[in-house]
Amino acid sequence: MRRVLQSMRDGIGFDTMLVILTLSYLLVFAGLPLIYNVVISFQTVDVFSLGTLMHPSAGVENYVDIFEDRQAETVLRNTIIFTLGSVALQFTLGFALALFFHQNFTGATWIRGLFLAGWVMPGLVVGVLWNWLLSGDFGVVNYVLDGLGLIDEPVFWRSNPETSLYSVLIANVWYGTPFNMILLAVGLSQIPEDLYEAAELDGANAFQRFWTITLPMMRATIGAVIALGTIFTLQQFDLFAAITQGGPAGSSTVAQYWSWELSFREFDFGRGAVISVLMIIVVLIVSLIYVRSTKAETQL
Amino acid sequence: MSVVTNRALLLVAIVLAAIYLFPLYWMYLTSIKTQSAIFSVPPQFLPDTPQWGNYATIWELANIPRYMWNSLVIATGVTLITGILGAGCAYVLARYRNWWIDMALFTVLMLQVLPPSLMVTPIFVGFSWAGLLEYPRFAAVLAISAKTLPFFVILCRAAFMTVPRELEEAALVDGNSRAGAFVMIVLPLARNGILIAALIVFMQGFGEYVYSASIIAENRLQPASIGMTNYLQPNQVNWNAIMAYAATYVTPVLAAFVILQRQIVNGLTAGALK
Amino acid sequence: MTKQIELIGIQKHYGGFHALKDIDLTIPQGQFVALVGPSGCGKSTLLRSIAGLERITSGEMRIAGVDVRDLPPRKRDLAMVFQSYALYPHMSVRDNLTYALRLKGVSKAERAKAADKVAGIIGLENLLDRKPRELSGGQRQRVAMGRAIIREPKAFLFDEPLSNLDAALRVRMRKEVRGLHERIGATSVYVTHDQIEAMTMADHVVVLQAGRIEQQGPPMELYDKPANRFVAGFIGSPAMNFVDGVVGEDGRSVTLSMPGTPVVRVATQTAPGRAVTVGLRPEHLIVGPPDADGAIQARIGAVEPTGSTTYLFTEGAPELLITTEGTARHRAGDAIGLTIAPQRVHLFDPQRGSALAP
Repeated sequence: MRRVLQSMRDGIGFDTMLVILTLSYLLVFAGLPLIYNVVISFQTVDVFSLGTLMHPSAGVENYVDIFEDRQAETVLRNTIIFTLGSVALQFTLGFALALFFHQNFTGATWIRGLFLAGWVMPGLVVGVLWNWLLSGDFGVVNYVLDGLGLIDEPVFWRSNPETSLYSVLIANVWYGTPFNMILLAVGLSQIPEDLYEAAELDGANAFQRFWTITLPMMRATIGAVIALGTIFTLQQFDLFAAITQGGPAGSSTVAQYWSWELSFREFDFGRGAVISVLMIIVVLIVSLIYVRSTKAETQL
Repeated sequence: MSVVTNRALLLVAIVLAAIYLFPLYWMYLTSIKTQSAIFSVPPQFLPDTPQWGNYATIWELANIPRYMWNSLVIATGVTLITGILGAGCAYVLARYRNWWIDMALFTVLMLQVLPPSLMVTPIFVGFSWAGLLEYPRFAAVLAISAKTLPFFVILCRAAFMTVPRELEEAALVDGNSRAGAFVMIVLPLARNGILIAALIVFMQGFGEYVYSASIIAENRLQPASIGMTNYLQPNQVNWNAIMAYAATYVTPVLAAFVILQRQIVNGLTAGALK
Repeated sequence: MTKQIELIGIQKHYGGFHALKDIDLTIPQGQFVALVGPSGCGKSTLLRSIAGLERITSGEMRIAGVDVRDLPPRKRDLAMVFQSYALYPHMSVRDNLTYALRLKGVSKAERAKAADKVAGIIGLENLLDRKPRELSGGQRQRVAMGRAIIREPKAFLFDEPLSNLDAALRVRMRKEVRGLHERIGATSVYVTHDQIEAMTMADHVVVLQAGRIEQQGPPMELYDKPANRFVAGFIGSPAMNFVDGVVGEDGRSVTLSMPGTPVVRVATQTAPGRAVTVGLRPEHLIVGPPDADGAIQARIGAVEPTGSTTYLFTEGAPELLITTEGTARHRAGDAIGLTIAPQRVHLFDPQRGSALAP
């Protein structure tokens, strides 16, 4: 016992204790749920069986139900459109802004920092804000688009099944662009200036410098940013809750929202868990790519 | 760079920032408009007769004090658990490089990415079995902390990496135990990074929605994010009131951001890319 | 003299890497010992093991007679000066100096007195309330020294403390550190990669290479009687010239394998016909006329004047380096004759590198 205490104060026991404490917490509140998730996806869990640890087995019935659900196809398509659309737009806009602010003009850093104001806000508030901006009759977005001559009559962004998903997507792009920009800006600032000077002496024009120096040097950062953007987009829930709530008629439901709806609106936790299991697998694959790309960059 | 180019770029930058920040402006502007002004066509882009009374009204009507108090309680709980458990772990992960540390770091990175809206199903079912739902705010704090903890560890690890190892060794030779050197030398030197990380975690706890909405059923205990949806649904036309609520809710967050902008940005980028 | 630090058969492994190989070292009370060697030789690891910052794999380690193998650093009562000085940036100079005393539970008044006294010794009376970042490199160095002195520890450990200073300051601090040691009389272990520092400061020099002690002894003994080719090449600046050769019939001369196959007389009696490596220190080679009797015939390839000393490089292979006092009288292309006193010629076994005893 004395040896153990001694080691806690002076030796490896101190480090072990610190790590074990934290990892145990994570194990209990994230690791176990992860496993339990798989278990309940094979069980029938409703409000009446909630109080027990194990529930009546459902076999693969929950999985079959989900794949045969007529909503499944819409949800899958929505999830793909929402994720790819958000990531592509956030990345493109973020990169463009990062390049723009990389030209060292007076106040560049300070103004760039202002963009992060959007990103520190609670997701739900951002959602409510865009709910109002995208309002059909009195929304300011419609007014501006009309003024620019881009639309002839108001678009009912949230209540039209054709556009409901895009109303959330627009909000998500606004929400996520600053983070993309700032990470890419860090990547840009890490490229040594003399590389550009050397390329200029070698006769490369601005466009060639971008293709032959900026892009290759940014490869690891770009990989990390796209992976992180995908992870954050797959986590996005608050905007759906605040703007469309998956509607109308499920037209803007994505997988993570559907999973929650099944569990907390229909109280069918087994089926909610099925989608959760499938989506977590997707997220973990993406994060493996992320970890790999940061590892390449910083020798993790 | 010539003066003209410099000015031109600055002008473009200001225009871009103005476009980007317009939604925030619109929030504050709407919050002080009259009921008829919010539905005027064309919309008013400048304040006419500011209706500051909107704030007083919504403050009472939507029970903002109670909701904000609950948000504060949850954010404080989350920050305490995360900070106490996370700082030590982050320190060890920053200090050593071996297979075990790499594995622990990998685990933390992987747990950081789990979407709350997906994790809430097993957590809710498990918590209801364990009886934790009897204490809904506490249960929500436990669940949210599991989400913020990995993130905090990554940010703090970056802060600890900036403390030279020799300082700690000097303290050991001067007569400190490992624990003593950690508390007296390493913690004070990594303090700024840790505080910023804690502030970010606090802001996340303050604005959290998914876990609270799923776990806290009792209206009395719900945080401001749920209070907002509670008010939004039956009052879809009172946009001035809703925006006054939103402004009340986010102004503290935005104020903290404006004051500590540089540190927050540095802390975040260090964590995400290292 | 009592043994202050005793190391017996110290081994240290990092995973598969054998960092310290069977180190035996006894340091008497009051001695100034330098550990010197190229980077990666294990000198810092050895110092850190003595401090308790690294755990040794096996061996015995005693400080003032106490077995310290399993003791954490704080129970060893040693003071250490780090290469980066490791001053606590969030504390004033005064707090830096007295930190160890504070941990020992010394009262505030006592600490203030001790700080004033040490500040006097290191000459920083006016800077006690500054933060480390407000000090110059030399001042930081002094604070680091002061932090060690104030402890009155069982021994001082120095980990390349002067390597971050500029050349002029380094020479001055060398003298100061040595002066301090003489005044305080404490046992000191000093790690450096700079053999001049080791030679000028230490009573006893330990040369390490690849985790092994190659030779230890008083500085001039290492210079005059290097135990092997490594020590011969490492100690002395500029480094010794090495030429292959074969021992002549009489066993007291060596034929060098270089153009003209010159013969040099040696003081060491060895087996005739034996292959050897001959070591000639640049400062021991005497430049004379090319036709001098028994001289090594050479032609100057390059001349590097430094003011006080001139470096001459011979043409052809193997190239010889000769140092001469004062400004050069020679030019590139000049033919010269080199002579050397027989007792200054070092002979080494060409395979094992060990010195052939005179």
